[in-house]
Amino acid sequence: MSREGYQVPTASAGSGAVARGSTGMQDTRSSIMSYLCGDCGGSVHLGKDSTVACPHCAGRVLYKERTKRMVQFEAR
Amino acid sequence: MPGRTKKDEPTAQDTNMEDAPPSAQPEAEEVDTEDQEEVQEEEEIEPQRVRILPGSTDTAASFEFVDEGHTVGNALRYIIMKNPDVEFCAYSIPHPSEPKMNLRIQTYDGLAVDALKKGLADLQDICDVVTDEFTTKKDQFNAEHGIVR
Amino acid sequence: MAPSTKAQWAQPPSKEELERRNTVNINKETVTNTVSTDFPGHFPGEDHAFSIDRFQSGFDITFHQNDQFHASFSLVGIDASLANAFRRILIAEIPTLAIENVFITNNTSVIQDEVLAHRLGLIPFKGGREGLRNFLRFKKGEDAQDYDTVQLDLNVTCTVNTDASPNETDPLKAYHNAHVYAKDITFTPQGRQEQYFSGEDAIVPVNPDILIAKMRPRQTIELSMYMNLGVGSDHSKFSPVATASYRLMPTIKITKPIIGADAQKFANCFPEGVIGLEKVSKKEAGQRGSGYEGHAGELKAVVVDPMRDTVSRECLRHEEFEGKVQLGRRRDHFIFSVESTGQWDSDELFLEAVKKLKQKCKKLEDQVDNMVR
Repeated sequence: MSREGYQVPTASAGSGAVARGSTGMQDTRSSIMSYLCGDCGGSVHLGKDSTVACPHCAGRVLYKERTKRMVQFEAR
Repeated sequence: MPGRTKKDEPTAQDTNMEDAPPSAQPEAEEVDTEDQEEVQEEEEIEPQRVRILPGSTDTAASFEFVDEGHTVGNALRYIIMKNPDVEFCAYSIPHPSEPKMNLRIQTYDGLAVDALKKGLADLQDICDVVTDEFTTKKDQFNAEHGIVR
Repeated sequence: MAPSTKAQWAQPPSKEELERRNTVNINKETVTNTVSTDFPGHFPGEDHAFSIDRFQSGFDITFHQNDQFHASFSLVGIDASLANAFRRILIAEIPTLAIENVFITNNTSVIQDEVLAHRLGLIPFKGGREGLRNFLRFKKGEDAQDYDTVQLDLNVTCTVNTDASPNETDPLKAYHNAHVYAKDITFTPQGRQEQYFSGEDAIVPVNPDILIAKMRPRQTIELSMYMNLGVGSDHSKFSPVATASYRLMPTIKITKPIIGADAQKFANCFPEGVIGLEKVSKKEAGQRGSGYEGHAGELKAVVVDPMRDTVSRECLRHEEFEGKVQLGRRRDHFIFSVESTGQWDSDELFLEAVKKLKQKCKKLEDQVDNMVR
């Protein structure tokens, strides 16, 4: 499986496909993204205009979620 | 492949560059496509990896080995040099990024190919002697030191 | 015509001459007499033609050590080209089973996917001998078969150990699975692998305590691995040996007596056990021209075990030993050291290397026959 097919993990399942390739045109359904807080580890849902901060601990370091796909590597 | 040569004949006058065989060597690959299914089950037929380089004569020949390196090259060079009929023997790897090894043999007497064949046979004899000696000495050592495996 | 192998006028080489030919000289700053000369036509009137009987009578193997992970033995009476061929085959051409593909479903540990995959690839595995030697084959084509692919899995999640004291600082005690070890890898036999790799013969890491990754609570690794046969020339993870090397037998020749305090100093130039100290006997002291005159009862340096020498040449740096010692190496005495990674036994590996060389020659013989035809 190639890494090119990376799918942005989103809060609402299945909406990722709609959002793909439409960087200019914003789709409201897919504009909620899920992140992981670097401080407390909790999951954070952010809209496109919300402040980058964790609602639980106010941590400002957020990480993208890992792809849910299986990724193949050569053990070399 | 007499059958194949005949089939080619009518079109031979006007062969497209792409259809022409890349060399005068018979295309070994194409021959066994029919029974490839069977072959894959059994031992696979090896492609021809040794050839005589152009310009060779009976007593002074260069051989090209594909997919061989210093391991076989140097061992073969040594054992062929031990043959009293051989005037000269040397090997080289012309370019490190090509998996090829060239071996030159010049003889006083007899064919260069025969010297090569004798070398390969002698190497196999040596391997047998080494295996026997190693096995006896290993068993002896294991018995003396109570090593059981 | 070939030069005649026997000349009437030629004397057979003396013992000293044979020793000279058989020694690589190690001088203060140079190494000389490095090339083998045992070829027909090299020395007029001498017969150096190959014969298997002559080889057999001159060939000898001595074992020094034979453990699973380390075998040491001497091959005597063989040329460097052949010893080197065995060494090269040991390292690069004996097939072993290693992880080739890693399918990572989840990895939230701090170690990156590709680094993790690389680390997994380098772990040596062992398993049933029969299965590894005779059942498994090289993988050809895309489809995995039970005879060419072995599947392993690794599924670990780090969790907080609720039994541990809240002040616990050792991660191994405070958390479960803080360290991921090779022993956490599980093997799932496929098809006929069941009959070759079950119970004692299961595919498991040679060393269960190899550390793969470190984790903290809520981090997880979830992946499966496919193993294939391969050879060391492709990737060193397929090499069956950690090292396979040889060195030539060192020789130390004390040409003039080294006595008294010098003898002690001389012994200190070598690793322990190489040089011994003996008392000069009355008989030696009485002998004129021996160099020991009037030194009865003093200590003299004698060579005890040259094999332990590292050939550091330290003794050549001191003025007082100048002209008194000649260092060298025996050209046809190879002290092999084979360290297996565990999939094969070390002694078994050498036999396999010899077998492989024979096999290669056999194949080439057929190829040459084909070419001539």
